[in-house]
Amino acid sequence: MWGVPSVNDLGPVIVTGISDGAVYAICALGLVLTYKTSGVFNFAHGAVAAASAYVFYQFRDRDHMPWGLAAVLALLVVGVIGGLLLERMSYALAEAPTVMRVVATVGLLVGLDSLLTAIYGASTIAFKNFLPQSPTRVGGVNIAASDFITLALAIVATVGLYLFFKRSRLGVAMQAVVDDPDLLSMQGISPVVVRRLAWTIGSCFASVSGMLLAPEIGINVSYLILLIIVAYGAAAIGLFSNLPLTFAGGIIIGVGINVLGQELSGSHSIAILSLAPNLPFLVLFAVMLFVPSRLLIEQGVRRVRRLRPMPTFKPQTVGVSMACFALLAIIVPLVAPAYDINDYTAGLAFAVLFMSLALLTWTSGQISLCQMAFAAVGASTFGHALAAGFPWLLALLVAGLIAMPMGALVAIPAIRLSGIYLAIATFGFGILVERLFFTSFLMFGNQYAIRTPRPHLLGLNLTGDKGYYYVTLSLTALCCVLVLLVRRSRLGRLLRGLADSPTALAAHGANTTITRVFVFCISAFLAGIGGALLAGVTQSGSEATYDFSVSLAMIAVLAFCWRLPILSPFIAAFLYQVLQVYPFFRDATVLKYDGVAFGILAIGVAVWPGLGSIRSSGRAQERDQRGSPVLARSAPVHREKVLT
Amino acid sequence: MNVAMPDLTVDRVTVRFGGLVAVDDVSLHAPAGTITGLIGPNGAGKTTTFNACTGLVSASSGSVRLGEESLNHRGPATRASRGLGRTFQRMELFDSMTVKENVALGPESLFSSRHPWGQLFSPRRETRNIEERARAAMELCEIAELSRRIAGDLSTGQRRLVELARAVASPFRFLLLDEPSSGLDVHETERFGEILVAFVAETGMGILLVEHDMSLVSSVCSTIYVLDFGRLIFYGSTAETLASDVVQAAYLGSEGTGGDHAHVAGSAHA
Amino acid sequence: MLELRNITAGYDTGTVLHDVTLVVPDNAVVALLGPNGAGKTTLLRVASGLLRSRSGQMILDGVDVTGQQPFQLARRGVCHVPEGRGVFAALSVADNLRLQASARVDRAAVDEAASVFPRLGERRSQRAGTLSGGEQQMLALSHAYVGDPSYVLLDEVSMGLAPKIIDEIFDYLRQLAGQGISQLLVEQYVSRALELADYVYILNRGRITFAGEPQEISSETVLRSYLGALAS
Repeated sequence: MWGVPSVNDLGPVIVTGISDGAVYAICALGLVLTYKTSGVFNFAHGAVAAASAYVFYQFRDRDHMPWGLAAVLALLVVGVIGGLLLERMSYALAEAPTVMRVVATVGLLVGLDSLLTAIYGASTIAFKNFLPQSPTRVGGVNIAASDFITLALAIVATVGLYLFFKRSRLGVAMQAVVDDPDLLSMQGISPVVVRRLAWTIGSCFASVSGMLLAPEIGINVSYLILLIIVAYGAAAIGLFSNLPLTFAGGIIIGVGINVLGQELSGSHSIAILSLAPNLPFLVLFAVMLFVPSRLLIEQGVRRVRRLRPMPTFKPQTVGVSMACFALLAIIVPLVAPAYDINDYTAGLAFAVLFMSLALLTWTSGQISLCQMAFAAVGASTFGHALAAGFPWLLALLVAGLIAMPMGALVAIPAIRLSGIYLAIATFGFGILVERLFFTSFLMFGNQYAIRTPRPHLLGLNLTGDKGYYYVTLSLTALCCVLVLLVRRSRLGRLLRGLADSPTALAAHGANTTITRVFVFCISAFLAGIGGALLAGVTQSGSEATYDFSVSLAMIAVLAFCWRLPILSPFIAAFLYQVLQVYPFFRDATVLKYDGVAFGILAIGVAVWPGLGSIRSSGRAQERDQRGSPVLARSAPVHREKVLT
Repeated sequence: MNVAMPDLTVDRVTVRFGGLVAVDDVSLHAPAGTITGLIGPNGAGKTTTFNACTGLVSASSGSVRLGEESLNHRGPATRASRGLGRTFQRMELFDSMTVKENVALGPESLFSSRHPWGQLFSPRRETRNIEERARAAMELCEIAELSRRIAGDLSTGQRRLVELARAVASPFRFLLLDEPSSGLDVHETERFGEILVAFVAETGMGILLVEHDMSLVSSVCSTIYVLDFGRLIFYGSTAETLASDVVQAAYLGSEGTGGDHAHVAGSAHA
Repeated sequence: MLELRNITAGYDTGTVLHDVTLVVPDNAVVALLGPNGAGKTTLLRVASGLLRSRSGQMILDGVDVTGQQPFQLARRGVCHVPEGRGVFAALSVADNLRLQASARVDRAAVDEAASVFPRLGERRSQRAGTLSGGEQQMLALSHAYVGDPSYVLLDEVSMGLAPKIIDEIFDYLRQLAGQGISQLLVEQYVSRALELADYVYILNRGRITFAGEPQEISSETVLRSYLGALAS
């Protein structure tokens, strides 16, 4: 069916691929550069690119400037000023634990996404080409001039960067600054200046790639963010540190997508068709699964401040407040307007989802950016089980159980890798599941939704809004009990130990691999249940509810709701889902900017402890000194002065 | 009160990092029921020897035995579950947990590896055992009054004791202590030494002690091994070691040539 | 002249240095001795700007440089060779040397270093992390030569090295001293340090307990302060 393609068939595709790949490469180079020099992996790199495209659009199409001027201004605003701001953020994150670095840049992504959508709307803005399109014939293939220019730009950028690193002293300093900023400073080079330059270059690269992509796919923040994530695949090929390999990765992925797309276009299976555009995520995940972990070196974690422990409360305090809380939850449907009840129910479902995330993140110190993928598996399984005639509660249980192997799968990178690479792996995994499987018959199908009717239980008809609220409330309470049981159990203690010191746990004989698999399975189980309950609110689980962007927003919101196992998820769910029923927050403007608020709060929580530590390098360094004496060590017995 | 505790035997262990030989053909024998010292100047390879014993680094040759059982090619968790416990030079505490939770999590981790589902549930019998062990260990280490404090908030001296208590509470059969007195003042060090002596007398367990502080080493150790440049340059009773010219030379570096060291080490073994 | 006046400094866990005053004259080698944990490393960190003192002053050639950043002090001629290996493991030997030299002469740095430590010249394109411990220390020490400093702070540069290499390193330090470069030397090999030094300070528990010339002090006394029980 596919036949053997001739060179003439593939020629134009390869050319387009190289040109696309060049843009990905520029973007990926910026990402790797900033990560290498600051140790902060910028999940918002794509959002920076998107912002640049919008600013470009604003200046050129709305303010009617010439495109050259508009491009330079966009580069200046987003690339230079944005880069300098990002450097300040990364500086404040220098000693932050990995989870807070992730929270900060994910918060930035959520905030920028929401800001751009609020200003320019969610629909795609057509953006006409600014580079000349006139075709040239090369070796029997027509190539647009813009493709040439893009490729040339990418080559110049890569070669320039490569030479800069190889030849210039500042470039060498840039590679040295992550290794040991203090040592660099002792050699007469200011680490701050070096970092500033790195972030400026990195953001300019993101900015350029955003502007180059805009005419091709139109200006739409979600598309741009997603397309730029393709750069993660390229960065993964470069193992997040090697620049020439990263460039090659960009080109390989660009060509791969286009060629695969052409080759597979005859297929009728959606899964096979979607293979091509998802190539970068497959590459990313493959790197995370198969590349030896010693090659994936986490940058900038040599001197990390620990998170301050949460206060503990007396059992009476906890008991009484929980009772009050339960009472409040029970009377909600009786006092709230009927049209708000579904929002409260959704809030409860989100509380379960947030609980699953809090168990992973706060209790056991693992990071997951794909919680909604677990939820989606739960919701769709739930729908299929109901359609197959399973009793409602059994279907719900099956939803949770089916999500567990997914959790175990994600635990594999968690066993091999730690910190930032786990975050990147889960991020890629979430998008991969969404794009490869959401629309398959196994999940939501080509209707993008699956029916999830509400139950009749114990002879009661609970299909009404109030009835379903109470069903969800009881099940949420059960999930709370499950979380509390886990925390009280031996596993819970091991999980807390895992978060504090995996080394100590292993030194006392615990198999930490098993611990990690368990916590991911339990978290996925809870997320599966939460996803199924959420689907019940609308009585049809739809794909859009479980978008990966929700996973990101969740971690941003959870971050600023303290780090308690039960209370934090409820606060987070309330802020995220329920707050909008109140008059002030129902306002269209407020609603539009909620993501901005979440993003800012998340960044704030992440950078706050670092703001006071300007010039604290001495303190940080001291913790790093192989645990050698901090205080005056016990001096030997002879304490009298040797001589005077 | 206990079944016989095993000795720890390190047999001709060599550890290489890239081109650097960090530990060079080191053998030592630390018998049960005594405290054996391992000393040497900074960078002599003491901690690396430890890491080779506990499986944190892999030795390029040589073997480590606990009693009759070889521990070669096993990971840290497995070696721990066979009874080899350790503390860390840079303390590895569970900083967000209370002292009591810290101490109890030691034996709990070890019990969790005893059966496949051991991580999920604790049989009541084990729970009682863990509590009893934690209580006894905290009492021995004189930190009972700290039991409800958060470990991350404590002073260095207190944290050292918490780490010791956690190792003591676990059903280990041999302990490796890595620079337990660093960060302690004179009185804390003295107290630490007394606790160690009491513990060994009570349980009959052996301890291998890496230490800078000669006052602690000389007051608790019966035998001392001296490392320099990754090689064993001397071993003997505490008195012999302290009187030894070789050891003083190692600390002063005045005699220092490789040939001399090799010669003296040879005579020490003979 | 590098002067530290009444320095009190420490970390969030406690004060390490109490009112320490120390002078490194021009063209002189000063040995700073004392047991582990006495605060020697902390004192060097204050002198190179890595740690800000809580009180006290630092005067460099008559200029008050208290509170300046390490890179500012480095540009004024202070060179700190830190404890451990003061090299960038991921960079090549040549790149390490370039960073050590000042911007104007950075390309010549490799040849300059090779003239002192020929082995570094042979391995110029090798990654510093793959060098042996001794070679890494030589690379770190090159800073004191190619960086053209006036004051060199040396923190346990002989640590964990083979005796032959230590000999080589001390020859090098003697050579530096011959060129009139002042040194503040923290060293566990007391006799070697005393041989080289013009002045000696002993630091114990964060306080200077002795200041004077090497002749005034016997190695047994120092040994006692290092090893405590060993000498008794």
